[in-house]
Amino acid sequence: MKAFSKVHPFVLMVYFLSVLLVAMFVNNPAVQLTALAGGIAFCAMLTTLKEKVSDLKFYLPLLILISVTNPLFSYNGETPLFFMNGNAVTLEAIIYGVAIGVMIIAVMLWCKGYSYIMTSDKFLFLFGKAVPKLSMVISTALRYIPMLRRQAKGVSRAQRAMGLYTSESYFDKLRFSLRVFSVLVGWSLESAVETGRAMKARGFELKRHSSYSDFRITKSDVTLLLLHIALMCITLTGTAAGAVDFSYYPSISQLTTKPLSIAVYSAFFIISFIPFFIEVEERIKWSCCKSKISVLHTQRPRKKPWTIFHFL
Amino acid sequence: MKKDILLVFAAVILVAVLLMGTEFQSVEDYYLTHIDDITADSETVTLSIDCTDILNNYDRLTPSLKSEKYIPSDGYILKETTYVLRNGDTAFDILKRAAQYNKIQMEYQGAEENPFGSAYVKGINYIYEFSCGETSGWIYKVNGISPGYGCSRYELKDGDNLEWIFTCSLGSSPEYTEKGGDKQ
Repeated sequence: MKAFSKVHPFVLMVYFLSVLLVAMFVNNPAVQLTALAGGIAFCAMLTTLKEKVSDLKFYLPLLILISVTNPLFSYNGETPLFFMNGNAVTLEAIIYGVAIGVMIIAVMLWCKGYSYIMTSDKFLFLFGKAVPKLSMVISTALRYIPMLRRQAKGVSRAQRAMGLYTSESYFDKLRFSLRVFSVLVGWSLESAVETGRAMKARGFELKRHSSYSDFRITKSDVTLLLLHIALMCITLTGTAAGAVDFSYYPSISQLTTKPLSIAVYSAFFIISFIPFFIEVEERIKWSCCKSKISVLHTQRPRKKPWTIFHFL
Repeated sequence: MKKDILLVFAAVILVAVLLMGTEFQSVEDYYLTHIDDITADSETVTLSIDCTDILNNYDRLTPSLKSEKYIPSDGYILKETTYVLRNGDTAFDILKRAAQYNKIQMEYQGAEENPFGSAYVKGINYIYEFSCGETSGWIYKVNGISPGYGCSRYELKDGDNLEWIFTCSLGSSPEYTEKGGDKQ
């Protein structure tokens, strides 16, 4: 299902960090839109239809809200649309707001993809040797929020099943959520202590403990890493040389179409669509295999013509 | 969960809009200001808006501003002009009225939002604070001296010569500090 998660953790880490870096700090609409498109394509491969719909319901209003926020606080720009309390609401500020929104959503989508792909075992594999305590704390902390959410759901379902707090009144709902919260606090403290004890009992504190990991760097990983580094070099040198400089204030500058900036755009386009391509390739392979399987199962021994004659 | 985040965000923006008030003006309305005619008995001040210091520090200027459109070649956004002084007009009031009248873009922080209780001019004609190095910004001088007051607290007198100057080296420029500017 997730072919990209089979790539070596080191390659994945380099990949995600550099994509996030570019998506966050390169202030150019073409690059930001590419990052967004790549993030959408990547996340679309990872989520179910229901999740996609709920994501859409979250990210679209978020984009609109961020775009509205910027002109409320930034009045710079050449084309005032109207004045609010003596301050100009300008076209440039609105467009810059949209650009910020695109950037934030792209980064959020990439982080979502990261959390799908980089599971805690991979994280620990990468940093467990170098900074064992910190990586342990980070991976525990990252695990904590989804775990609490799951537990909260479970507690509230159990309470409802017992027939508690099913009334519609807001006061009851508030009391109910407070009760769930207090249960959660107690449970999380207990589970923290238990986790610690369990880890101790299994010898986590021993100096020479080993951990199981099945990550071997393969040829395709190396190829992917080299390709990624080469493309990233183009992107970063182009950015450093100012080929993709863009400004929104006081007037929106034109998108540069110099050869170097086009090289940057296309390099970053390939980078941000790598996971998508890998997933698509895997799906094609899978559907080929599936069709072969189904052919094998549905094939019946062909009746020879003479058998019909035989029955006749 | 996600719905809650969006709701809180929307509520914060709504509150911000409501707190900041909601007086909308079209662009024409905003620039349609009445300026008093100068008569023989009216009190007057002169105003100039000057960014010549940028021309001396052109390499430090934000690239998007490097254009004749924003930085006039002689360095004067508004050459010395005489304006009628209304009763109680401050250095800020004159600037605002003149900028509105001449359709010069201007952004400021109002006196009620500012911790020092005085309006703060952020940018004039798209030239903002920090546009030309970290120590750049707008200051004002009255009769060649920089008063140690916020601009909306300094009331002008008849015949004053008001200059709004974009300096690229606030604090270190000798002509600003030695004549009693607010040293930090």
